[in-house]
Amino acid sequence: MAGAAAERKVIRVLLVEDEEIHRVLARALLRSAVGGVELDEAGTGAEAVRRVRDGGAGAYDLIITDGKMPVMDGHEIRAMGVTTPIVGLSSDTLPPDVDTFIKAGADDFTPKPLSKEKLVRILAKFNLA
Amino acid sequence: MRNLRLNSDSRRAARGDRAGALIRTGRILSRLGYLDEQFCQVEDLQDEASPNFAEEVATLFFKDSARLISNVEQALEKYPKDFNRWDAYMQQLKGSCSSIGASRMKSECMSFRDYCGQGNVEGCMRSFHKVKREHGALRQKLEAYFQLLRQAGPAGAATRPGM
Repeated sequence: MAGAAAERKVIRVLLVEDEEIHRVLARALLRSAVGGVELDEAGTGAEAVRRVRDGGAGAYDLIITDGKMPVMDGHEIRAMGVTTPIVGLSSDTLPPDVDTFIKAGADDFTPKPLSKEKLVRILAKFNLA
Repeated sequence: MRNLRLNSDSRRAARGDRAGALIRTGRILSRLGYLDEQFCQVEDLQDEASPNFAEEVATLFFKDSARLISNVEQALEKYPKDFNRWDAYMQQLKGSCSSIGASRMKSECMSFRDYCGQGNVEGCMRSFHKVKREHGALRQKLEAYFQLLRQAGPAGAATRPGM
């Protein structure tokens, strides 16, 4: 996955978030913090799964997803057969909330709001920086 | 020539006054806990392509938060003692507050959720009123802050207070 990204020299991130304000912030953060990032957005877990399936193998290098959303939660994405690294992003940060993400198959979790520092850490963790 | 110089001095003084007011307003917002470090991060995302990014995000926040507050209000009215529902709606508002660094509002949202956890209706009602009050106060102060920013112009924006 990381090898494919390096060849492309563009990192493709899928942000799954139903609230516009968080999408606006994430767009601006990704634009300013990291060069060579393409951001796609989905408003529900179901739309995220569709985008991954439509894009084919390796469509995205990383999925950053909110938890509770209409139609399908972010927690359910892994269960739909998505193998892309997933990072949970939520303002609910108690241990049970984080556990819910990890037990559902997320590879990492970061509390809202997203920041430059958190983004850099996440990208570095998955060898995408 | 003397009159021109006086006018130029007056304009310089006026710009200085506005820049000073801007700095004072920004510090007050931070010191009184209305906004935290997250708001600085939002302002830091401003660039030539998005010079008014912070104000755009604030506008989006107030549009969002008004809707979310209305959702909570209707839930309190239509679904008595449905603490799970009340909590779910307030959780969304709390998330929105954290995006812009609205720390006092976020704190009241958390109180409300605590009261939901305790099954305390009165506590929920009290903290909801506080949420609405903080929302109104923050809107007023941010409107004043952005008004000052606009008046100060690009030079004033460059001396924006580090909150």
